[in-house]
Parts: sequence; C-alpha cells; structure tokens
Amino acid sequence: MMPLGYLGCLLLGIACMLLLDRRFRLFFWRDPAAAGLVTAAGTAFLLLWDAAGIASGIFLRGASGFATGIVLAEELPLEEPVFLVFLVLCSMVLYTGAERILDRRRRGRARRRGRA
Amino acid sequence: MSYALLSAGFLVAALAAAVLLARAAGPRRPRWAAVAVAGVALLLLTAVFDSLMIGLDLFDYAPGLISGMRIGLAPVEDFAYPAAVAVALPALWAALTRRGGVPLGALLTQALVASRPVSWVNTAFPFAAAMLLTTREIDWLLVVGTLYYLVPYNLAMYGINDVFDYESDAKNPRKGGIEGALLAPEYHRPLLRLVLATNLPFLVLLLAAGGPAAWAAIAVSTFAVIAYSAPRLRGKERPVWDSIISSTHFVSPAVVGLALAGAPVDAGVIVLLAAFFLWGMAAHAFGAVQDIIPDREAGIGSIATSFGARRTVRLALALWLLAGLLVLAAPWPAPLAAVVAVPYLLNCAPWRSVPDADSARTNRAWRRFILLNYGSGFIVTLILILAWNSSA
Repeated sequence: MMPLGYLGCLLLGIACMLLLDRRFRLFFWRDPAAAGLVTAAGTAFLLLWDAAGIASGIFLRGASGFATGIVLAEELPLEEPVFLVFLVLCSMVLYTGAERILDRRRRGRARRRGRA
Repeated sequence: MSYALLSAGFLVAALAAAVLLARAAGPRRPRWAAVAVAGVALLLLTAVFDSLMIGLDLFDYAPGLISGMRIGLAPVEDFAYPAAVAVALPALWAALTRRGGVPLGALLTQALVASRPVSWVNTAFPFAAAMLLTTREIDWLLVVGTLYYLVPYNLAMYGINDVFDYESDAKNPRKGGIEGALLAPEYHRPLLRLVLATNLPFLVLLLAAGGPAAWAAIAVSTFAVIAYSAPRLRGKERPVWDSIISSTHFVSPAVVGLALAGAPVDAGVIVLLAAFFLWGMAAHAFGAVQDIIPDREAGIGSIATSFGARRTVRLALALWLLAGLLVLAAPWPAPLAAVVAVPYLLNCAPWRSVPDADSARTNRAWRRFILLNYGSGFIVTLILILAWNSSA
C-alpha cells in the first residue's frame, strides 16, 4: 500500500476537485472544451518547467517509500504529471469558486443598495 | 542555471501570456480580485503541502542550485509555480470562454475534421520509424515528436489549406457543393490561432532538442507546410512545385526524425529518402488528375491541369517505377520494398491514356490508392521489423 500512498492521495485530490466542480458547475461542468484546453495547456507548461529544471540538474527524485518508483524519464516520476494536473484543477476550482462568491456578494450589495 | 533564474524565466513567460490573454479576452477579462483570492490560497497550500512532500522525501533539489531560502521546508523558488498558474490560467480561461467568439467546442470539432484523422499516421509513422530505427529506444523526444507529427502538424498542414482555399473552394461550385466541408469564414482566424498555439510549443521543443541538421529539416518541413496553401506562396497552384511540396510534407518528418536521432547520413539512407520522395510526388500528381476539370473551371493550376491527364498519369507511373527501382539499390532488406511499387503501377496503368474530359473517372483508382497505402504501410512495417532484427 505504501508505494501507492502519494499517487493515491493525488488521485483522491483530483476526484475531490472534480466533485466540487460538478456540484457548483465551476470548470469542466461549465465549459468542458475550454476546461480541457486550460488543463492541457497548464499541465504541458508546468511539465516543460519541470523538464527544464531536470535538464539543469536542479530537481532530483526523492527516495520516498510513498512513491511507486515508476519513472517516465530521468528524475521524472509517474506521480509528477498527476500532481501537475491536480495543481491546475485546484487553481481553477479556487479561481472560478472565488469569482462566483465575489460576484454573488457584489450582486447582494447592489440589491441591498437598491432597496434602501 | 540556478533554480531562481529558471523560475524567474518561466514566471515572466506566464505573466506575459496572462497579459496577452487577458487583452484577448476583451470584456470577459479575468476577475483580478478572484485571481488574488485563489493565488493567496494556493501559496498557503503550497507552503503546507510542499513542506509535507519534501519531508516525505518525494523529491529533492541540488543543494548548490537553490537559494537556500525556505518557507517551511519549501524553497522560495517553488512558489513561482502556483503564482504562475494562478495568474496565467484564469486569463487563458477568460480568453477561451469569452462571449461573441466562435463556440470553442465547435472550433475543436472543426479542427479535428480539418486535421484529417485518417491521414495522421502518414506523417507520424515516418518520424517514429526513422527515429526508433536509429536510436532503438523510446525516449521522451520520440514520444513528443510522434505526438507532434500525429496531430498538430496535420492540423497546420490541412488547417492552413482549408482557410486559404476557402475563396477558391467557394468559387468552385463542384467542390463547395459536393464536399460541403467548407470552413466558415468566422472560424478562419480562430483556427489559425489554434494552429499556432498547438504547433509553436512542439517546434520550440524539437528545435531545442536538436542540432543544426534538425533545425534545417524542421525549417524545410515548416516552410513546406505553410507554403503549400498560404497566400502569395501558394505552392499548390504552381505545377510540379505542388507535387514537390506535397511530397516534402511526408518525407520531411522522417528527415527530422533521422536528424534528431543523429543518424549517420550514408548512401543507403539518401537512396531510401529519394525513393520515398518520388513515391510522394507520384501520389500527389496522380491525385490531381481527378480534379483537372473543376480546377480549370475555377482557374486553379496544378501539375495535372498544366500537363494534362495523359501525361500526368504517365509521369506518376514513371515516378513510381523509379522509386521501386531506387530501393533495389539500398542495403538489405530495403530492396524488398520494391514490391510495394507494383500495386500502384497496376492501379494507375489502366489510366495511362485517359483523356482530360474523362479525368474525373480516375477517382475510382484514387480511392483504391488510399486503401493500397494501408497495405503498403503494413509491408513497409514488416520490412522495418526485419531491418530492426537483422541489425541487432
């Protein structure tokens, strides 16, 4: 079970983000095509960043017992792209959620002012 | 390079993209207050979870290349990731979901159709085969390059063609009516933008991974993709040049693959590429014969409208024959591929005397030709496997 610990947490995190997304129709459940493109572009950009870091010798793979140990390329564990997808989803759920709350508050204020 | 410098570079790129995208989004620009809320939350989460992940030894940093400043266990440079994501992605989202533009789902569907999925393998296979046979291993460059020649390259080639052929296709009653797959004008600019956005990152990666030989091959390949149908260049309307550029579309991915893999350039390789090139020219020339009448009515030139049906068919026969004879000169087991020329010759030969007026009937042979390609692809693959095993 231990080697699947990190990957399992990431997949669970992704599932939670998607549940929030679905419940409040924030990202994929609002515009699947745009959300797909944002996720693909964001993940690809972060992977490039990782690749440049690996090529410069900055990033090293750890020896954690919580990782599967499967590597996609030198110093690039299987978990890394999954983490990047999670980071993108988490940011977009946070952003679209914050946008929703801010909009609602602004409309609420406008309504109260209209009544006064 | 230090981690600080690397992160600064990517962060600046992300911010620049965010500014451009926010401007492109127009009135639907990102809500910066929401960006700030999401950004602060992400930075806090990063401080906690990055420390946790580093504490669990999931990854590490080369000690000499990081500044040493840490928040918790996380190096400060790590915070550039969430910062870049929190600013750039909402801007991209805003640009993609803005109102008034074409529906994105419809654009992607159009792009998929425009990229001709049946033909994807025709460009990805030469690249992957050339690279794999040279390096004999599947690495990230092979995967990235194959993905590029599978989809974005075809989207560029056929997408640019569909956009700039719109005028002539629309003017041509037969084409516009029968094919019906005209790309509506409001999709032209978004499709060209999509072509740029999907091709540029891959090209930058391939250029960064290769040396001068790969740069030259990629330059030729990219030029051919644009020059075939882009305005002014319009290679497809210049007889003979049209067949040369068309064949370059299919041969250049193999050349790029060889160059990226650092394959030695010997006589055998040159002979094989030359044979492939002649085969591609023959394919284009023969394909143009069926369109002679509509092309002439629309005032479009091609190798077939200028040579006439009879001479073009004979030229294609000669090129296929030459391609078959050329591979006989290549090292074993390449000469086996000579047999591939035979079905093409048999398929095309009955039309060697077809008059221009009947040229549309060659469409029957053209449809058979497309099937033949799958058969030849199969035979060529078997020969490649044989080459793989015999050189082991």
